[in-house]
Order: sequence, then structure tokens, then C-alpha cells
Amino acid sequence: MTQHDEAQQVHHHYGPQHSTPREGPPDPELLERTWRPLPGIVGFFTVVNYSTVGMRFIVTGFIFLLLGGVQALIMRTQLAQPNLDVVSAELFQQLFSTHGVTMMFFFAVPMFEGLAMYLVPLMIGARDMAMPRLGALGYWLYLIAGITLFVGFILGVGPDAGWFAHAPLSSETTFTPKLGMDIWVTAIGLLEISALLAAVEIIVTIFKCKAPGMSMARMPIFVWAALVMSFMMLFAMPAVLLATVAVGLDRMVGTHFFNAAMGGDPTLYQHVFWFFGHPEVYIIFTPALGVVSAALVTFARRPMVAYSIVALSFVAMGILSFGVWVHHFFAIGIPPIGLSFFAAASMMVSIPSGIQLAAFIGTVWTGRVVLNTSFLFLIGFVVIFVMGGVTGVMLAAVPFNWQVHDSYFVVAHLHYVLIGGALFPLFAGLFYWFPKFTGKLLNERLGRWQFGIMFVGFNVTFFVQHILGLQGMARRIHTYDADLGWGTFNLISTIGSYVLAFGILLFVVNFVWSLRSGRDAGIDPWKAPTLEWSVPSPPPQYTFVEPPVIRSLYPLWDPGESPSGVETAADRGVALRPQIREDYRETFGTSIMDGEPESRINLRDNSIWPVLASLAIGIAFVGAMFSLWFFPIGAVLFFLTMLGWHWPFSKEVAS
Amino acid sequence: MSVRVGTPMLPVYTLGPKSVVWWGMIGLIAIEIVVFSGLIAMYFWLRLVNPSWPPEGIDTKGLLIPTINTLVLIASAVAMVVAKRAIVRGNQRVLKLGQMVAIALGMVFLVLKYIEYSGYGYDWTTHAYGSITWTITGFHTAHVISVVTKGLVVLTMALRGMFRPDRHLAFEVSTLYWVFVVVIWIPLYFTMYISPRL
Ligand code: HEM
Repeated sequence: MTQHDEAQQVHHHYGPQHSTPREGPPDPELLERTWRPLPGIVGFFTVVNYSTVGMRFIVTGFIFLLLGGVQALIMRTQLAQPNLDVVSAELFQQLFSTHGVTMMFFFAVPMFEGLAMYLVPLMIGARDMAMPRLGALGYWLYLIAGITLFVGFILGVGPDAGWFAHAPLSSETTFTPKLGMDIWVTAIGLLEISALLAAVEIIVTIFKCKAPGMSMARMPIFVWAALVMSFMMLFAMPAVLLATVAVGLDRMVGTHFFNAAMGGDPTLYQHVFWFFGHPEVYIIFTPALGVVSAALVTFARRPMVAYSIVALSFVAMGILSFGVWVHHFFAIGIPPIGLSFFAAASMMVSIPSGIQLAAFIGTVWTGRVVLNTSFLFLIGFVVIFVMGGVTGVMLAAVPFNWQVHDSYFVVAHLHYVLIGGALFPLFAGLFYWFPKFTGKLLNERLGRWQFGIMFVGFNVTFFVQHILGLQGMARRIHTYDADLGWGTFNLISTIGSYVLAFGILLFVVNFVWSLRSGRDAGIDPWKAPTLEWSVPSPPPQYTFVEPPVIRSLYPLWDPGESPSGVETAADRGVALRPQIREDYRETFGTSIMDGEPESRINLRDNSIWPVLASLAIGIAFVGAMFSLWFFPIGAVLFFLTMLGWHWPFSKEVAS
Repeated sequence: MSVRVGTPMLPVYTLGPKSVVWWGMIGLIAIEIVVFSGLIAMYFWLRLVNPSWPPEGIDTKGLLIPTINTLVLIASAVAMVVAKRAIVRGNQRVLKLGQMVAIALGMVFLVLKYIEYSGYGYDWTTHAYGSITWTITGFHTAHVISVVTKGLVVLTMALRGMFRPDRHLAFEVSTLYWVFVVVIWIPLYFTMYISPRL
């Protein structure tokens, strides 16, 4: 290739490296053409845009919530009365294991990843995520993992060693001979890779793609939360990946990591898994708190009290949550000094949450509250979560922990934390952002009913389980004898679970109804402060016609002289907007701390390679259950897809 | 904001921390550092719970081949860094040469590794010791295979003259990853070969 050809080619892909800014007004039609997905079924598999991929994560996550919920109802039905035989003991085992796995890995984590993917670019004023194809790859891997899990479950070989699959139960084929645990390894392995990709993608986007002028100190709290969540995933997920792979190796190729007879050690599994396992709760909980902060500020109609302290407490929570993993197995026998250390750490981690809660209450106290459905869910969250926190502090006391270890007290506690800390904020967020996602408002009346029913149903279901736990009812039991006297409370709990499920069903009804005949939302139905409310609902693929320039933490409440509400480059008479080309997918690259523009980032567009790459990885992981040869085969296929991904290389050289 | 009317377009091609690809690579490396640290922690945990390490009946690993091999691997990273510096100065010849040498050294590493491991009378099923050492080695070797393969792709690009002093992001991140794969080997080497002798 001659020098000239090369220059031509680079020009073709990127436009000239340096040229003078374009004159004239923005051209939405050109943007539309540049950012359009391909038509039809091809488009379905090749689209990489953040809003599509983010929405896929959210919808798929919600479907898993429903699936996990159905499993929960079956379990509650089985436990409604003593000595029932709705499902066999064996199926019950698979039910609680798959329910736990589904809710923790396939609902909560991807759901919040999806929210972050959808909202972060909007909130920081970028046209897309930094690496759109990576996000798409993450989604396909998630889908393959989820399908594997549920195909296994339906075929009667769901995981059956609890959601955390303690070794050696999980790792020895003599104890768990069926394919279920191999499916656990495969599904979790794929999901972890997907989550790690999402984490890198979110971090890089927040680091590099903030709008000009958006320094770290002007990032919305939700973006802080997404950043902290991603960092926690980055450090915690590899541990569980390691734990699952080690279990897989023990099962499939005969290593002895967890086999005490051959020099291995089962407690090793507990350390490696729970190093991830506890932060996992915070990985779910941190973005949920981010959602709370966003909705709270809007509906309290005032800036967050002590913004910087709240932002820092997110960071602190992320760090501290890694110090507490041992509290998940206080009962296994740990030297006293270790116990005290981990008990102290467990108690300390409640300090940042306390600070955040105080700031939330302060914000509401001094604000003018709009009491809509979204806000009701925020209240529900605070109430439930505080109760979960109280039982959590009780559990962090070592002697008490030993007493109620593995009882229904723990089941109650974990649902208070997870449902209070994730599901209620999630619904607050869905009510808050649904208008942005779809252009329609959800029905408020139905929403209030949903809240009331869920709140009552939830407390009825899980409050009595504390008592059952203290009465000695162990978790994970398939049934119990009548003379133990647990029948009444269990029946109450089961009735509560049906009420709770009905509440969630109402949401589905509301969702479908509002999508078709809800009121139009317009651009900004809530008079909210952050950038996502400055673009049409749903946002166009290119997001911003005019790339915004940021001068304050709440750009829409603090609009300066701009007629559009958001200050744009054009408003300042500055040649920033024409900097960004409209005939290529481009967004500003800015410095991490100050948001100073330093480059134009050329974003990758539609591509079939993410889905093909996910298939290659899927072949390696799913195939490995049957023959280890699929692993090298998948690796070679993956290498080929990577070549395709980067093709043509002249382009890669320049990207 | 320092951008004014009439300033030239911001660059679309960036290197190093200004580039998202570079940050993506840093992200991948961060993840892998956690994984390798986990493996090292698992090694020492297993050593702690076992009365003798390596267990009776398994000979301590010889030091000669692995030590030579470690030096070979370090040399390959040096070659990569030299090549990377060369392209910054526009020296295409040293760029190509450096990448070739790095690939050759990587292959030598793989061959020596093969020779070393086929000489051991135990495998991953013999004892947890075998499990962890074979896993660490297998995982790391897979990395060397992948950088060598990727090196071949990058070499093809270099031979076709696709890199320029201001345009060599693919080479830059490739070097970054190569250096990571080499540097992470050093603690692994100390863990598996030196620590049992201390
Ligand atoms: C929708 C209402 C829900 C109901 C009625 C429900 C019910 C149950 C029941 C009956 C069990 C089995 C307890 C046992 O036998 O030990 C269980 C376990 C569990 N649930 Fe839920 N659950 C619900 C929602 C959730 C959510 C939203 C999450 C997480 C985000 C979650 C996470 C878990 C976990 C981690 C376990 C433990 C699984 C195991 O023992 O391995 N649940 N749940």
C-alpha cells in the first residue's frame, strides 16, 4: 500500500485527522442515518447501540425475575402446610438453588447493569457507550447463560447444591452426580464474563466519555454508583469465576482443589466464593442506592444534601464490603482474633449506608416532596431496608449468628435486604424512567395499588419467617412435621407470597397497558435535573443532536441562559459542537477528572461479530460439559471471530 | 474550557490514556491480575493446610529449565518494548525485528515449558499440589499462546507497514498485554519454584 492509499483509507474511515470545524446548524437527518441500526432480522443481531442493548438487559432481567418468582411461589406452596407433597424433595432442592442463582445472578446484577448502560451515556452527555460492541457481546453471553440454566432446570437437571454451591458437595460427582452442577458452572461462568465485560465498558465510558465540562464533581450520584458497582464487579467477579472454574475442574478433569482426601480443602471454596459473595450483595445494592438518589432528588425537588459526602460514601462502601466476607461462615470454626476482625468490619460497613440514609432523609426533610408511586417505593425501600439492616447487625454478632445459622431467620434477613434493597428501588426507578424509555407514563393509580400490595405482601411473607427461624425452622427443608407447630406461620407466609406476586403482576399489567395507551410523557415529565431529561423520549439512537456542555451538577435546574435548558456548545458560540462529526459515530473524549475535551472518539457501529463471538464462547463453555475438546474448539472459533471483529485491520490501526 | 472558535478539530486518533481501547486493555489486565492473585492465594492456602509441600512422593521441581525460561520470557517483553519505542521514532525495521524476536522467544518458552512438564511424574489428578500447579501453569501458558498468536497478527500488520509514529494503537496495546503476561509470570515463578524451597 502506498502512502497515498493509506491516507485515503484512513480518510475514508475517519475523515481527516485535522480539519476546520463544520459550519451551520446540526443535521438530525444525517445523524439519524449515521446511527441507524440495520433493518430487519439482521438488525436484531447486529445492533450495538447502548439504548437497545441496555433495554435488552433490563427486559431480560425482568423476565428472570418473573421466572425466579414462579419458582419461589412453587416453594412457598410446598411449605404452606406440614407434610405436603407438591414437589419432591429433589425438585425442591433444584428449586431453591435455581431460584437463588436466578435472582442473584440473572435478575439483580444484569438488571442494574442494563440500567447503567442505558442511563450512563444519557446522564454524562455521550452519544453511546465507549465500546458498544463489548456491551452487545456481554448481552449475548448473558442470554446464552440464562438459556443454559433454564433448559437444564426444565430438563430436570437444575443446579441442586444451593445458589452458592459449597464444596465438596458441589465439586464431587459422587455427591452431585447429575449434570445440574455442571450447568451451574457453565451458566455462572458465562454470566461472570458478561458482567466483567459490562464492568469494563461502564468504567471506560465514565472515565472517557463525559461531556465537556463534566468533571468528576459534576457527575450525577447515579453515575457514581454505576462506577463503584463496576469497580466492585471488577474485583469481586474474578473470584467467583475462579471458584466456579475450580469446581468445574474438580468435576470434569479430576483435580482435587476441594477434596480433603487428596490434599484439597473445602473451606478454600468458601473463602474464594465469599470473597465475591458479600460484595455481590453490595454490587446489587450500590446501583439500587444510585437509583434512589436520582429519583429522590427529583421528587424532593432539591439538590442532594451533602453531595460529595454521599458520593464518597459510595466509594467507602465499595471498599469496606470486601472486608466482610468471612461473616458468611462464622460457624465453621475460625480463630477468635479473626472472628473479631471480621465482626468489626461487618459492623463498620453499615456506617456509609447510615450516612447515605441520613443524607436521603435530610434531602426529603428540606425538600418539597412529590408523593407519587416512585416516591412511595423509595419510602418502602427505606423502611424495609432499615429492618434488614437491623437483623444484619444482629447476624454480625457472632454468638447470635451461631444460634440462627442456616435457619429461616437468615432467609428472612436476606430477603429483607435484597427485596428491600434492590426490588423496591428498582420499581422506584422503573416508574421514574419508564417515561424516558418509552415516551409514556405508567399509570399512577395502578402503581399505588401495586406498591401497597407489594409492601403488605412482602412483610407478611417474610416477617413471620424471623419467628420461624427463632423457633428453629431450618432453611432449605422440603417439608416439616405437624407437631413442630410451624404450620400457621408458614401458611401466613405463603399467603403473603401470593399477595406479593400479585403486586408484581400488577406491574406487568401496568407496563403493557401504559405502553399502548399511557399518557404521553413528553421530554421532561418530572422537571428533573439531569441530562437524560433534555432529550426526546425515547431518546434517539444518537441521543443528543447538540452535544451538551456541562457547567453544574444539575444542568436542567441550573440552565444558564440557554433556551433549550441544557447549555450546548452552540449556545456558547464555541466551536465545540461542529467538532463532533455527524457522518461518523463520534462522541467527545474528555479527561477523567476535569472533563476537558481532548479527542473525538470514533465509536464502532453495527456488527455481527459480537453475537458470533458469544456463540464461540458459548460452544466452549456449554460443550465442555460433554467433552473437554469443545474448549480448544471454542477458543479457535473465538480467535477467528476476533479477526472478523477487528477487520479490516487498516481500520483497526486507526481506531 | 479551552476550545475556541477556529481551533482545529480535536484528534480522532489517540494513543495511551487518551484512547478508550487502551483503557479497555487496562481493564482486562486489572481483571486478570485479580484472577492470578486468586490463584496465588489458593496455592498458599493449599500449602498451609497440607503438612508437607510438595507432598511426599512428588519431587520438588527442578530449577534449571524454569529459570532459563523465565529469562527467555523477560527477554521477549524487552523485545516488545524495544519495538514499541522504535515505532514511536518511526523505525520500521526495528519494529518488525522486535516483534519477530518476541514471537520467537515466546515460542521457545512454550517448547521449554512442554519439555519441563512432560518430565514430571505427576499430573493434576495426583494431589491438590498437582491440581494447583498444573492449573496455574495451564492458565498462564494459555496466555503465552494467545499473545504469540496475537503477535503473529500484529506482525503481519507491521510487515504491511501499517504502523506510524502517531498511529500504532494496536501495537501499543499488544505490547501492554505482552508485558503484563511476562510480569505476572514473575510472582508465579516465585510462588511455584522458589517458595517451596524457603
Ligand atoms: C418474589 C418474592 C420472593 C419469594 C416469595 C421468595 C421465596 C424464597 C424461598 C421460599 C426460598 C427458599 C428458602 C429455603 O428453603 O431455604 C428463597 C431462597 C432464596 N431467595 Fe428468594 N424469594 C423471593 C424473591 C427473591 C429475590 C428478589 C431475591 C434476590 C434478589 C431472592 C434471593 C434468594 C436467595 C439468594 C435464596 C437462597 C437460595 C439458597 O438457599 O441457595 N429471592 N426465596
